Amino acid sequence: MPTIPSGQPEGGVVVMDGPGSEAEAARGIAPVLSTSPVGRRRRPSGEPPPLPRRIEPSTKVYAVLGAVAGTLAVGLTVRPVLAAVTAADLAVLRLLEDLRFDALSSLMRSLQALGSQWTVRLVAWATIAVLLGFRRFQHLAAYLLFVLGGSLVTSMLPFTIGRMRPADIEILGRWHGYSYPSEPVAELALVLAGITCTMVPKGRWRTRTAAGAGVLLGAVAAAQLYLGVDHPTDVFGALVLGWALPVVAFRLAVPEEVFPVSYRRGRRAHLDVGGRRGEAIVRALDHQLGLDVPSLEPFALEGSAGSTPLRLHTRDAEGGEGPLLFGKLYARNHLRSDRWYKLGRTVLYGRLEDEKPFSSVRRLVEYEDHMLRLLRDAGLPTPAPYGFVEITPEREYVIVMEFYPGASEVGTAPVDDATIDEGLGVVRRLWDAGVAHRDIKPSNVLVQDGRVRLIDVAFATVRPTPWRQAVDLANMMLTLALSSTPERVYQRALLLFAPDDIAEAFAASRSITVPSQLRALLRADGRDLLGAFRALAPERQPVPIQLWSVRRVGLSLAVLALAVFGVSLLTAYLQVAGLL
Amino acid sequence: MTRRLALLAAALLGSSALGACAPSTDDVPACEAGHRLALVAQTVPDAAYVPCIDSLAEGWSTQRFEANAGRTRFVLVPDRAGSRSVRVTFQPACEAGAGVPTTPRADGVRTSIELRSISPRYAGTLSDAFPGGCVTYAFDFPRGPHIGLMAELDATVGLFSRRQLRVELRDQLGVELGP
Repeated sequence: MPTIPSGQPEGGVVVMDGPGSEAEAARGIAPVLSTSPVGRRRRPSGEPPPLPRRIEPSTKVYAVLGAVAGTLAVGLTVRPVLAAVTAADLAVLRLLEDLRFDALSSLMRSLQALGSQWTVRLVAWATIAVLLGFRRFQHLAAYLLFVLGGSLVTSMLPFTIGRMRPADIEILGRWHGYSYPSEPVAELALVLAGITCTMVPKGRWRTRTAAGAGVLLGAVAAAQLYLGVDHPTDVFGALVLGWALPVVAFRLAVPEEVFPVSYRRGRRAHLDVGGRRGEAIVRALDHQLGLDVPSLEPFALEGSAGSTPLRLHTRDAEGGEGPLLFGKLYARNHLRSDRWYKLGRTVLYGRLEDEKPFSSVRRLVEYEDHMLRLLRDAGLPTPAPYGFVEITPEREYVIVMEFYPGASEVGTAPVDDATIDEGLGVVRRLWDAGVAHRDIKPSNVLVQDGRVRLIDVAFATVRPTPWRQAVDLANMMLTLALSSTPERVYQRALLLFAPDDIAEAFAASRSITVPSQLRALLRADGRDLLGAFRALAPERQPVPIQLWSVRRVGLSLAVLALAVFGVSLLTAYLQVAGLL
Repeated sequence: MTRRLALLAAALLGSSALGACAPSTDDVPACEAGHRLALVAQTVPDAAYVPCIDSLAEGWSTQRFEANAGRTRFVLVPDRAGSRSVRVTFQPACEAGAGVPTTPRADGVRTSIELRSISPRYAGTLSDAFPGGCVTYAFDFPRGPHIGLMAELDATVGLFSRRQLRVELRDQLGVELGP
């Protein structure tokens, strides 16, 4: 817990207990003195968090319009309301009827054709193809759910209301079925809302796309009214059902701050840390950890899929350059990725070890912070923990730890015996502490000034299954052998491990137990390092790692049933939506 | 995950319940003045009569109701063994065929029947032609039960007078059904 020395005014220099305490200094961890314009402070009740959940004003307007359209739909099933609304609608249509002349009627018929089923099909399939092509699966799922679900509602609602076409008005255009809501307008609005929210990056381009969609929808809606095909309230209901409600649904299901639409290269798990979020992170680091961070930047994005890694530049008490720190921004998309990842592993391989997913982002970040502290206490060369800060409650957190400037991945240069010994020593200490790292690979084993550092402890677990610890050894030996020889690494390993331990490590190793980066490097290396180590170690039967349980069988069957159900539902949706 | 599964299950149950409660797209308007029947009238604006469901005979159901500018179609399905669906089409005019006149189903209606087959199946087309419109019923019944099925078909589909519909719509809903 942070302490403020006696006589120290609140908001001044804060001495951090934890990594900055004397006890830790004695353990070789540099104390951190930090200052900032405000400094560490408790957020009083009622004060918003650094990045409050923001509801756009248009979302509120759309929600109100949705309520109005819903009330109108219910009202239209009651005869007196239906009569009154229809009378008002017809009065407007009669005014429009007075404006008719041949050339304008021809133009309006052409505009009405823009809302044809073929236009909708073309736009919908193009959107689905692009989302698939760019592997934007969250957006694709939301698109299928809302656009196709919306189409289903659009095609069912007219039968519920059962409203006739405008009476006593000469209908000049094509029409089909009941009139509320206007199906062509609703379906065109749905696919346009889908494009705008899932394919166009937020900002100027999205604003322009929305404006373009508005013009197109306005033209089709005007044509429907001019030609006497729909009542004004039919068009209103269609616009709410087709545009307003799906836009709100997209904002809730795939919020821009979590699932940004971007066509930049790189992993989509990474969040934009500029703008409001960047400012909120800096403010949170200041208020919650007492760290003065004048700037931060994304860092080593290519090596991280489960969080958004950050490099934090700090300022010391005198206003000079402070130590660089490493941060990881966790948000709900990372939590979802973690859940899907673990579900996939459970179905494909059984519970290799504790694969229980985290229940919230808070739990995820708390766990990593706990593991950093535990490994530090066990004497492992892992980054010193600085704690974590809350950006948006239950949604976004940043965990902060020591940064290793100048460190490089092990294997970027040939390794000497000292580095090999240190790497193997790390595994020995993990074993002694009863911990498995579970993700040992070159990008997580760094060398800084000749010293081995172990990073990314988010997957680490205490008291793991025995073979899992053995696999840590195998992966470390494989990692070190990439820049050396298996014989040399094996000989050095015998100084710390019994031959049977090494035999067990390689008897438990499979493709699934080797992290993907290490697997790729082993393939690129060309040597059969796994075979070489097995040949060097005493012979041992393979260690079974697949676990079969009632839960795994049940979960596999449930996933299969859901997949079949999903495909059936999708097919039905596509048919009802007129896309098949 | 448990919460998500529960939400998913609730969504599935909810959508099933909604599906069960939602009106079927197969519902054909009944013979009563209202917007639903008025829509059928609008498909053939000059027709003197509008087809509708008078009383659906036991074991009969309706399917695939479609109302477009110029035509209304729906299908009647008797559940009697061997019976095929009856396709009902309402349009401005009937094709001139070799139908045999039969008892008119309403005033001013020329009802005729053209049989394609008598045995082993009783199949053909029944037509109701009237000023501005025509309703055809393409049927295909098994020989034997066909007598009862034809009577049930006659009782199921009624012809609602456009004049009466116009008056009732004006009186009850203030809507002027043109022309």
